[in-house]
Amino acid sequence: MERYDIAIIGTGPAGVSAALTAKNRNKSILLLGSRQMSEKVAKAHEIRNYPGLPFVKGEDLAAAFRSQLEQMEIPVTEQRIGAVYAMGDYFALQAGEEMLEARTVILATGVVMAKTLPGEEQYLGRGVSYCATCDAPLYRGRTAIVIGYSPREEAEAAFLAGVCSKVTYFPMYKDETNLPESVEVIRETPEEILKQETGLAVKTAAGEYAADGVFVLREAVAPSQLVPGLETDGAHVKVNRRMETNLPGLFACGDLTGTPYQYVKAAGEGNVAAISAAAYIDKKAKE
Amino acid sequence: MVKKVNTEQFQNEAKKAPVAVVDFNATWCGPCRMLAPVLENISEKYADKVSFYSVDVDESPLLAMEYRVNSVPCLVLLKNGQFVDQSIGFRPEPQLTAWIDGNL
Repeated sequence: MERYDIAIIGTGPAGVSAALTAKNRNKSILLLGSRQMSEKVAKAHEIRNYPGLPFVKGEDLAAAFRSQLEQMEIPVTEQRIGAVYAMGDYFALQAGEEMLEARTVILATGVVMAKTLPGEEQYLGRGVSYCATCDAPLYRGRTAIVIGYSPREEAEAAFLAGVCSKVTYFPMYKDETNLPESVEVIRETPEEILKQETGLAVKTAAGEYAADGVFVLREAVAPSQLVPGLETDGAHVKVNRRMETNLPGLFACGDLTGTPYQYVKAAGEGNVAAISAAAYIDKKAKE
Repeated sequence: MVKKVNTEQFQNEAKKAPVAVVDFNATWCGPCRMLAPVLENISEKYADKVSFYSVDVDESPLLAMEYRVNSVPCLVLLKNGQFVDQSIGFRPEPQLTAWIDGNL
């Protein structure tokens, strides 16, 4: 398997800028994201402070990113990364069933404002899980509650229904659900996850629902969940001026590192992160 | 070395070791596969003070239940057979060694 010099996660201004700089430094790059670049950029009405591109429309900026990547012969790989593991002298990136490898990683995913439920982090791994397909076998013949934030999560609830004695599903959206008959759907808003004598309970305004396991399934993954062991400050990743995180070889840039959420700041940080990653690789090679 | 044990070996060896780190894992668990080489590496460095074991939760479900393993991988640290602390999920090597050092 090819081990890339730098894996870059995200195709907004930070990720694109990091990729361009890394390419200039002759590093092998795996750029992971969307060929549409960034939804946030594409939806911006007009950007007035991006030097050299006066009053640029978001969609035109995204198109310019795409064309510059093409000119530099940097392909975009459209794979969703579920987790990044610091293995010591390299990183393993989990993409579905596949594991990708890179010497360094630059996180440029943008910021996600996912508020956790009270009790959720406290009982994570002690009854609360973020991955039904990962932990389902531990709940064989037991009861589970699934809190799903998008219809995509219904597949995970259906999977659990085949393993657990009972599955209760809380849709956090208004669409009709499409689930096996055995799954009970409750349209109430979970307020808290509580510990009970055996197992856990989900508390809503109407009452408490007990289960052995509670699966909280969201689209957005918090950075500390994406990279186990990563030091964060709320929704942001802690970095220094070189965009280094607490994990050697792992860098972060753009909105993910904190305010101001400006395109030009993100692009600047992407540049710094790529230079730091390249320097890290060169230093390692000499050791 | 991390020694794979069944329930009986666990009782005879892990529970009798002065300090033992037991890795509860499963073949179907991705993070477990990533943690295994990291733990193997740590076990070499701590060979003189800590014994390392690996338990498959599907082969030893009663052990997993006894130690309330609700998520894998789950590391359990025992001193003279007594539960001291647990560490859940994948963690990079420096954080795991700090966790072990903090419990020695």
